[in-house]
Amino acid sequence: MNTEVNLKRATTSSLLSLLNLTALPVIAFVILLIIYKKTEADTIDHYYALLGIKTNLLAGIALVVVTALVIFMGGFDSPWTWVFVLSYFVFVHAMFILFATWVMVRSWTGKKLTRAFLSK
Amino acid sequence: MKYESQGVAKLYFVAAIALFIGQILFGVTMGLQYVVGDFLFPEIPFNVARMVHTNLLIVWLLFGFMGSAYFLVPEEAERELYSPMLAKIMFWIFLVAGALTILGYLLVPYARLAELTMNDLLPTMGREFLEQPTITKIGIVIVALAFIFNIGMTVLSGRKTVINLVLLTGLVGLAVFFLFAFYNPDNLVLDKYFWWFVVHLWVEGVWELIMASLLAYVLIKVTGVDREVIEKWLYIIIAMALISGLVGTGHHFFWIGTPDYWQWLGSIFSALEPIPFFMMTLFAFNVVNKRRRDHPNKAAVLWALGTAVMAFLGAGVWGFLHTLAPVNFYTHGTQITAAHGHMAFYGAYVMVVLTMISYSMPLMRGQKAANETAQKLEIRSFWIMTLSMVAITLLLTGAGVMQVYLQRYSSEPLPFMVVQDKLAVFYWLRELAGLAFLYGLFMYVYSFFAKGKAVEDVA
Repeated sequence: MNTEVNLKRATTSSLLSLLNLTALPVIAFVILLIIYKKTEADTIDHYYALLGIKTNLLAGIALVVVTALVIFMGGFDSPWTWVFVLSYFVFVHAMFILFATWVMVRSWTGKKLTRAFLSK
Repeated sequence: MKYESQGVAKLYFVAAIALFIGQILFGVTMGLQYVVGDFLFPEIPFNVARMVHTNLLIVWLLFGFMGSAYFLVPEEAERELYSPMLAKIMFWIFLVAGALTILGYLLVPYARLAELTMNDLLPTMGREFLEQPTITKIGIVIVALAFIFNIGMTVLSGRKTVINLVLLTGLVGLAVFFLFAFYNPDNLVLDKYFWWFVVHLWVEGVWELIMASLLAYVLIKVTGVDREVIEKWLYIIIAMALISGLVGTGHHFFWIGTPDYWQWLGSIFSALEPIPFFMMTLFAFNVVNKRRRDHPNKAAVLWALGTAVMAFLGAGVWGFLHTLAPVNFYTHGTQITAAHGHMAFYGAYVMVVLTMISYSMPLMRGQKAANETAQKLEIRSFWIMTLSMVAITLLLTGAGVMQVYLQRYSSEPLPFMVVQDKLAVFYWLRELAGLAFLYGLFMYVYSFFAKGKAVEDVA
């Protein structure tokens, strides 16, 4: 059973996940962790807080770790490093933002994510 | 289709798609000329192919906007179009004028075309995207005025909704800002101001109003979400588009001889420009999520969602990528601009017109939605064209970064044409992506003729 508080926390969690990817990195993630600690298993807020944490950890690996590795291996002075890093970073970052946006909109309905976009 | 006069839109859409094919054919031709410089030379030199590619884009999008308005406005205004006959006459005038202009580009040297069309009486030719002979520009104004009169009379004498008023505002803006094309000062810097007042205030100003209203209309139809909800979103989106986009014109004034304050104004306001596009994504995601029904025209829903997403990526993200003055110092006029231009035009304007066509064409052919086979093909063509455009954008971005590094950042900068040679691998791959796009476009066209099982109306 999801109460008003659960639903509110679910939407806040998904907003924080988006904020961590955009305007408020790190700070938003810390608040998301605090919210997660307040949630209970099998509730909608737990689902969205956990999804937000997983998404942002994955984004951290994909954006920070992979980028750092490419720069380290490719060399700071190679143009090919920057060709890959800039195209990759912009595109993958935008994909994470779009995914977090979809998740946030989904949380507003109080339902979990589903695979189908075009049919219920 | 509720009103018979909405059927006028079909003419416009057919012409739009035909010109779209022409645009892409010239695009892949030009793409090849990047790496095989004398391909089709001297018959179709690069500068002519480029001019035809960009001019066809503008013309077919205008056909698409006009067709969309002729379909949307009667339904929103709850009355027949003021004059379907005028709409048909203007269609043929615009088509013939457009075709003659393109033939002029292809068959006559540009300087001779300027002489033949008496450009010296009111010189307006010779500027990127506004290459049309003055007489063609006058024709565009006449067609636009007749079109706005027709649409305006329909709106003013019928039901006034936020959607048709926003659309009308956008269309009036489109006509008004085109008038700057007639002012062509000798001072090149001054000329650039007025040139951008047409180009920028179209694509990052009033066209966004047109796009938002078309998207809102289709989303109301396919989701069944309350009009009031969608209208509130529309107000906020167009307010943000105008707040950021008008002064955002300043991002075109960097490093071309204009005062330094444009670097601050342009950077700050254009940094806000992704916001309306992000809101459009949020809006589309939200209403599709809250839809009250599953519309049988799944292809139209996909196009609508795709428009919001790709406009955010192309216009928002790729625009922001090179809009801040310190970044633009290096990227100005490189392939990064081309990357942004391709995805932004496709995402924002090509896709919104295709969304309208996808929604309205079956209705004009007496169906609720295209048959199952046709929709499958259309959805497949959506993915092929969209993914090809993503590939084109990424490859041009890569080419742009390499260009910046070798030509402007490196301690021993290389000349422009030497750098172009070093970008060949990107251009070859971009050509392949362009051919894939063309394949997707042919599949899209074929979908209109595909036979199959009628879809069930689950509305």
